[in-house]
Amino acid sequence: MAILQSGHGGGGRLSSELVGALAERFTSRNLPSPEMEDCALLSANQGITLDGFTVTPRFFPGGSLGKLAVCGSINDLAVRGMRPEHILLGVIAEEGLEREELLEHMGQAAAVCAAEGVTLLGGDTKVVPRGALDGLFLTTCAVGSLALSRVPGMARMQPGDVLFLTGPPGRHGACIAACRYDLEIPGLESDCASLWGLLEPLFALPGFRCARDATRGGVGTVLCEWAEGRHLGLLLEEEALPEDSRVASLGDLLGLEPLYLACEGTAVVAVAPEDAEECLKKLRAHPLGKDAARIGYVTEEHPGTVGLRTSLGGVRVLDMPVGDPLPRIC
Amino acid sequence: MTSLSRAQACLGAIRERQASLKEPVLLMEVCGTHTMAIARHALKQLLPRELSLVSGPGCPVCVTHQRDLEQALALARQKGVLLATYGDMLRVPGYASSLQEEKARGASVRVVTSAMEALELARNNGAQKTVFLGIGFETTAPATAAALLRAREEKISNFFVHSLHKRVPPVLRFLASQKDIPLRGFLLPGHVATILGEAPFAFLGEEYSLASVIAGFEREEILLGIAALLGQILRKEFRVQNVYPQSVRSGGNPEARKLMDEVFRPARALWRGLGELDDSGLVLGEAYEAFDASFLVPPLSEELEEEHVQARNLCRCGDILLGRLAPRECPLFGSSCTPVHPLGPCMVSGEGSCAAAWRYEKTFKGAN
Amino acid sequence: MCLAVPHRIIRLLGPGEALAEVRGVRRHIRTECLPSVEEGDTVLVHAGFAIEKVLPRQEEELASLWEEIYALSEGNPS
Repeated sequence: MAILQSGHGGGGRLSSELVGALAERFTSRNLPSPEMEDCALLSANQGITLDGFTVTPRFFPGGSLGKLAVCGSINDLAVRGMRPEHILLGVIAEEGLEREELLEHMGQAAAVCAAEGVTLLGGDTKVVPRGALDGLFLTTCAVGSLALSRVPGMARMQPGDVLFLTGPPGRHGACIAACRYDLEIPGLESDCASLWGLLEPLFALPGFRCARDATRGGVGTVLCEWAEGRHLGLLLEEEALPEDSRVASLGDLLGLEPLYLACEGTAVVAVAPEDAEECLKKLRAHPLGKDAARIGYVTEEHPGTVGLRTSLGGVRVLDMPVGDPLPRIC
Repeated sequence: MTSLSRAQACLGAIRERQASLKEPVLLMEVCGTHTMAIARHALKQLLPRELSLVSGPGCPVCVTHQRDLEQALALARQKGVLLATYGDMLRVPGYASSLQEEKARGASVRVVTSAMEALELARNNGAQKTVFLGIGFETTAPATAAALLRAREEKISNFFVHSLHKRVPPVLRFLASQKDIPLRGFLLPGHVATILGEAPFAFLGEEYSLASVIAGFEREEILLGIAALLGQILRKEFRVQNVYPQSVRSGGNPEARKLMDEVFRPARALWRGLGELDDSGLVLGEAYEAFDASFLVPPLSEELEEEHVQARNLCRCGDILLGRLAPRECPLFGSSCTPVHPLGPCMVSGEGSCAAAWRYEKTFKGAN
Repeated sequence: MCLAVPHRIIRLLGPGEALAEVRGVRRHIRTECLPSVEEGDTVLVHAGFAIEKVLPRQEEELASLWEEIYALSEGNPS
């Protein structure tokens, strides 16, 4: 397509295609390893990540743009076994934004930094003319250090590995959709949170292979990226997927699939089978992991594809969504 | 009885009945929501091999012709027009663009979840013409009608409707008359039947000896419908059977039909992949002409259509929708026509025959 | 076609409007297509409009059909 559409930032297939095209502009010398992981390796034992945050509404049940910005970057490090240490914060604000609002976002960002021991090393601030952007955009760059002996990553995934979901999928996306389409769903909150505390105990497991922070495009997208990236099959059990009934209600009303709705505090984890039981115990021991569940396994069958087995025994293919999730009537 | 045990019982019954029939059976569903539910629950794989369930032209979004889409795009591009549409339509391709693309180019396009929401946009945006894209079958047309009635009552002069509504019974008749397709029965769309009732479908049994069952959308309701269809075929008793009585009354919803009759009249309509079918569309009647958006744009240029004749001619959706051809037999399948760049309705719909085949055939060989 | 979800009518509001609830979610829906709707009814809502009352699962109407199904499935367990 000649022009960019909002779906190109949606995290699904259009996004993948775009990122691929962008990466192609760099020679292999300047883009050594285009990995499909949540953070890059700055050195053998340091991770670095960059994220932009543009969500509206900027305040939503369970969080805010400020909180999201820091949690998002922390999570990109955390899933790759990197203890989050430092952060840089970029602010681009629209002329006319309430000063108090910006300070509130900073306050929420600072609170997460304090809780996780992350230091703000610097930042940048721009104010653009009214109309140049919608209110406020934040960008974060975070750096962390490897907290285990080997770098986790999908390269370590093998057939037989067990897959976990740390909580019900789609809570953030459902929360935003409810705001956008004017639906009052009592109790529906974004899952926006730092995953460091939940994931760190897993690093002690020798069989901990990899984890991914499910964001835009949802759990479905990251699972497809794993399957396609490793050319392995993933098989999920539909009955085993944790469910938030409020996300399900929203899904029913708008015709949206929870597996494709954004998360901001939910991860998929792959561990060797011998560590599966212990992994579940550790996840469930943490407040963010109380609904964690074993959802399936990695297989040599149907390589490159994620299958979802229903309680009736049929298997449906879970593909990557093409663009943004849109409400439907059909 | 749990949903699971009911579903399992239906599968057992389906296998028994199919075995008794001793011959291959072709059934068709004509409802996008049925197509989605069947795919979601991976039901086709569980049916006996000799039983084929084909997706017909039941997705009103997917059968919206490129020409109609181009008119909608022309409306969206007009200065002073705010186009309100259900989300389903955003990514459907016209000849060269889509509403999503026009939105990215700066057109005023808004997703709504109800026709009244579109009317509210008109009330709140006096300076703009709000054009509502009316898509859907008889389940959805009454809502558009209600919005128009209200617009007329309140004299809202900046509200318009571009009606692309279509009717199910005419396309069923078209499908039933295709003599070369060994169709034995239809799984009828439950919510269209909620509006129409049973009578408009009676001709299927009476004139064509086709089995017909009105079914719901839960997996056990769909499987019940299929089991009932096989029962009709076995007993050679062809009549409209309603296995969705909790939501469908035999007489349908007369109030909703009255709204439709007040506002719309049937007219010939163009279906993507099938061509023109008589009486198969709903256009605004004379009393509501003032709200008809088609007067806001000039008719489509012939050059635009000629430019895209080639792709149109090669698209085999018509045959795929009629069960005559398998997706992989289409020359465009997987090359110029993919889920990211779809050409025909079977690929436009996430669960259309071609989109499904594209996903399934990559890995699950042998699945229906 | 077509996504429709059963809602319970909590309260009738002005002409053509009602407050409805589904699994804890409250929303305004239109009733022009189903003017006979009453408080307490369960209705099928499609694209923001109530289109029919949902009657409790028609156990009697479909009872003989289900009997047939179960009898057949016994001869062909999943």
